[in-house]
Amino acid sequence: MTLTASRTTSPTAPERRQKPPRKPLNLQGKITGIIVTLIVIVQVYPLAWLFITSLRTEKDFAGGNPFALPTTVTFDNYARAFATGNLGLNILNSFIVTVGSIVVIVFLGMMGAYALQVLGFRFSKLVRALFLIGIIVPVQVALVPLFVDYAAVNLLDTYQSIIIPLAGFALPTSIYLFSSFYEYIPGEIYEAASLDGAGPYRIFAQITLPLSVNTMVTVAMVNSIFIWNDFIFANTFVLTDDLKTIPLGLQNYIGAMGKIDWTATFAAVCVSITPLLLVFLVLNKAMTYSLASGATKG
Amino acid sequence: MRTNRARLAIAAGVAAVGLLLSGCSAGASGNSDPTNVDPKGEIVPREISWLLSRPADGGVITAMEQIADEYAAKHPGFSLNLITTPDRPSYIQKYETLAAANKLPELFDTDATPFAQKLAKQGKMMDAEALLKDLGVYDDYRPAALNYQRFDDGSLYMVPFEFQLEFFWYNKALFQQAGVEIPKTLDDIPAMCTKLRAAGITPIALDGQDQWPLERYMAYYPFRTAGPDYVEQLKKGDAKFSDPTGEQAVKWLSDLGSAGCFQDGFSSTGYSDAQASFTSGKAAVYNIGTWELNSLATDALDPSVRDDIDYFTLPVAKDSVTAANEYVSPSGIGMAVNTKTYDPLVRDFLSFALKRYPEVYAATGALSPTTTVQTTVPANATPLYQRAVDQANDVGEQTAMPWDTQLDPTSNTRLQQELTLLLQGEVAPDEFITTMDGVIADNGPKAFK
Amino acid sequence: MLPQRSRLSVLVFLIPPLALYGIAVLLPIFQSLYLSFFDWDGISPMLFVGIDNYVHMFTGDAVFWIAFRNTLGYVVICLILQLGGALIVASLLTLLRRGREVVKTLYILPAVISTVAIAFLFQRIYSLDPEGLINQVLEFVGLGHLQQAWLSDVSTVLAAVSVPEGWRFTGLYMLIIYAALLAVPTELEEAAKLDGASWWQTFWRIRFPYIRPVWITTTIIATTNALRGFDIPYLLTNGGPGQSSELLTTYMYKTAFTSTNYGYASTISVFVVVECLAAVGLIFLLLRRKADA
Repeated sequence: MTLTASRTTSPTAPERRQKPPRKPLNLQGKITGIIVTLIVIVQVYPLAWLFITSLRTEKDFAGGNPFALPTTVTFDNYARAFATGNLGLNILNSFIVTVGSIVVIVFLGMMGAYALQVLGFRFSKLVRALFLIGIIVPVQVALVPLFVDYAAVNLLDTYQSIIIPLAGFALPTSIYLFSSFYEYIPGEIYEAASLDGAGPYRIFAQITLPLSVNTMVTVAMVNSIFIWNDFIFANTFVLTDDLKTIPLGLQNYIGAMGKIDWTATFAAVCVSITPLLLVFLVLNKAMTYSLASGATKG
Repeated sequence: MRTNRARLAIAAGVAAVGLLLSGCSAGASGNSDPTNVDPKGEIVPREISWLLSRPADGGVITAMEQIADEYAAKHPGFSLNLITTPDRPSYIQKYETLAAANKLPELFDTDATPFAQKLAKQGKMMDAEALLKDLGVYDDYRPAALNYQRFDDGSLYMVPFEFQLEFFWYNKALFQQAGVEIPKTLDDIPAMCTKLRAAGITPIALDGQDQWPLERYMAYYPFRTAGPDYVEQLKKGDAKFSDPTGEQAVKWLSDLGSAGCFQDGFSSTGYSDAQASFTSGKAAVYNIGTWELNSLATDALDPSVRDDIDYFTLPVAKDSVTAANEYVSPSGIGMAVNTKTYDPLVRDFLSFALKRYPEVYAATGALSPTTTVQTTVPANATPLYQRAVDQANDVGEQTAMPWDTQLDPTSNTRLQQELTLLLQGEVAPDEFITTMDGVIADNGPKAFK
Repeated sequence: MLPQRSRLSVLVFLIPPLALYGIAVLLPIFQSLYLSFFDWDGISPMLFVGIDNYVHMFTGDAVFWIAFRNTLGYVVICLILQLGGALIVASLLTLLRRGREVVKTLYILPAVISTVAIAFLFQRIYSLDPEGLINQVLEFVGLGHLQQAWLSDVSTVLAAVSVPEGWRFTGLYMLIIYAALLAVPTELEEAAKLDGASWWQTFWRIRFPYIRPVWITTTIIATTNALRGFDIPYLLTNGGPGQSSELLTTYMYKTAFTSTNYGYASTISVFVVVECLAAVGLIFLLLRRKADA
């Protein structure tokens, strides 16, 4: 359903950056520029504020005007952030969970799409519909049952306990993305390979897989943002400090009785954003493209 | 795909999990008896864990870390793994889910909640009274500290590690400026607020975001007019908010709201902001316990307000059945000992730790739950510190229990929500009473079966 | 289809993803259904109660209906912010001659921040005492009388918890719509302009119909995402004050993990599943029908 909708317009259409200038409406252009700038400021200002606050002294933050520029710049907050929490470990855990889930999502997604789209079988429509449920149904539905199941099979408080639902709920999108890509692989390629005596496994390994690299990147990127920041599964299934991911690590800055060391917390937030932000900025082009195409096809 | 078979398989899976669950929940696989506090056998050092909800750098944890190191020096192979979740709601969720998963560690923190009582009834927690008596330390404890931990039937399953007094801290200069006196009775408070408001002062700084501070105010009036019994009956549905006791209390709360006692937007004000509002001289009153002595009675306090700060204790009410020296004096969240994992090592460690603890803990400047030691007042303390410490010796026998440890969780959540609405004037007192009586009737009796 | 596929090879490729999906998604849905007929606190034996939970939910639980209403409000606000904002910014972006890439990058930046951090951030932005960003801006532009504690007021809190969610993902939807807008053939628009159509007419008659399929997809994604909304209300207000920002998801979560009422929480889950399937079906029908008309 979502698939057919998106096929009509491909977001891959090359950007026509050098459009012939529409009537030289200079004023209109300027106004547009100003509006866009304002909107971008609204969008980005909170982030800048977050960063500035992480450099403030506690007194400056509590007593002074928290939205003015800081009177003095301090890195104490970062020292406290690292002393209070376990940021390194949290980042490592987030990394493990993200990479683990992405590997599962990408490979199982490819396999599922291969079975549905390339191999094909009688009830493939039904299976597709089944997978659609996972896109529609909110993840929270799985919390209680999974908690109960994990308790029964001793999986609580493991990496798997977070990876399973994260991957499971992302799998349908991944399958749809891969199958919409496989649709465009011409049948002749497969026929030729078949004539050469290649079976379904060899075709998968030697043709489909290498062709899928772009889609793999798309799937990985779309999901990384969501998984890196997952709160609800980690919050429900992780019980000890050793496995806490970044969002849970940040929660640790809420102290007894609800006391919060704000400036240190913001320093921790800044640290926790950095890895993903770096990846995002470095892979900016690929990322924005992936998000657009990934989301449309999902 | 053969859908029918698949459906069957799923149904079977569901049923199997269901069976597993009922199997799990029917009986703990624990092997010991909650009253067998001195099991036979050899002491084999190993790592034991304590799931707790206390500040990471606070006195309890630093003291216990030191004690565990001392014990480990004599018992190589021993270590104490302290897993703390200071944020209480997150902690409770974690501990209750671990209990459901039957995965609680050797030691875990809990208040005397209905949930804990269920665990005790199922034999999952060691009998703390028997344990403390057997270790010969039972009589060292302040009776109030132990009473705070007891269930309604008087049984004791948790060991206290703290002793706190909750005061109304106030700013003398602001009181003078507005021409108000320390309230003599609870009924004086709304008038006090009106006057402070008129003078442009925030009357009471309240951390409304964390819910429990506001819920304290719910407990105050009934504690004065009816004593601790009221909430014990209320939570089971045996007493009602529509009783005169409840009605008066709700009326008083509603008066606090209409007098603007708490700062605007209190329900989204956090702990630190509320405290900052008081310590920066903006708010006149702040209701908090002695765990904040370091912020309120040392030179950590802003010099501009340092000399103006004092405290008073919970005012009485007309026809009070509880005395002025009886108020909220919690001994903190208690430590329960898991029956399933209780063995000679746990006993031996607890024996060592509980005897050593008061001295180490009191040296951090905190009030010990025992009467055996003197609290070391820190060098940078203001005179108020010593006075607060001494006040602990003057506490009466009955203690006002915080309601969040008393009600069943569903009623408690709803009460917290409705209290905010009542204080903000969004619901009328009689609406509040009807709603809450309904919610408790639905959930209370069930929880305390 | 591959000519030489065997039944076995289909199974080899299909079983692993289906198994994971079954364990993580399908089985829990069935289990919720199963648990919804029980009264269970996690530590006592399960008690079969038939449809009592459903009866209670539909007839005896005021909070459930408040949460349901709030969920609808939350979805509407998120959709307006995300889709409306996305459409406006994407359209403006096509008019821009320089800096499109920069704008795109900056605009999508909030999406990389975890919801826990966003909750911390917005707690400060909405704050009244100390004065948060919004209240300061209001004061600055001379609207000081509008200052208030946005998260404390029952009439503003639902919007206040929806805004961060909208803010966070509007960039994502903007990218999608922008890509779709770029694909609209310029010739069509030029022709319409020559016929004297205003910008607005061109937009509604030419551009929008052209991107309608993408619009449907985006609406569905945004709706299902909004229906999943949980983190920000849970962390920012925990549903309060009162139940003013309680969503079905947060209510279910609290019922399960605070009240340890797993049976009733599952009942709410079942309702949420049905609600989401219905919502998506409805959107699809509505937007499709319009497209056909």
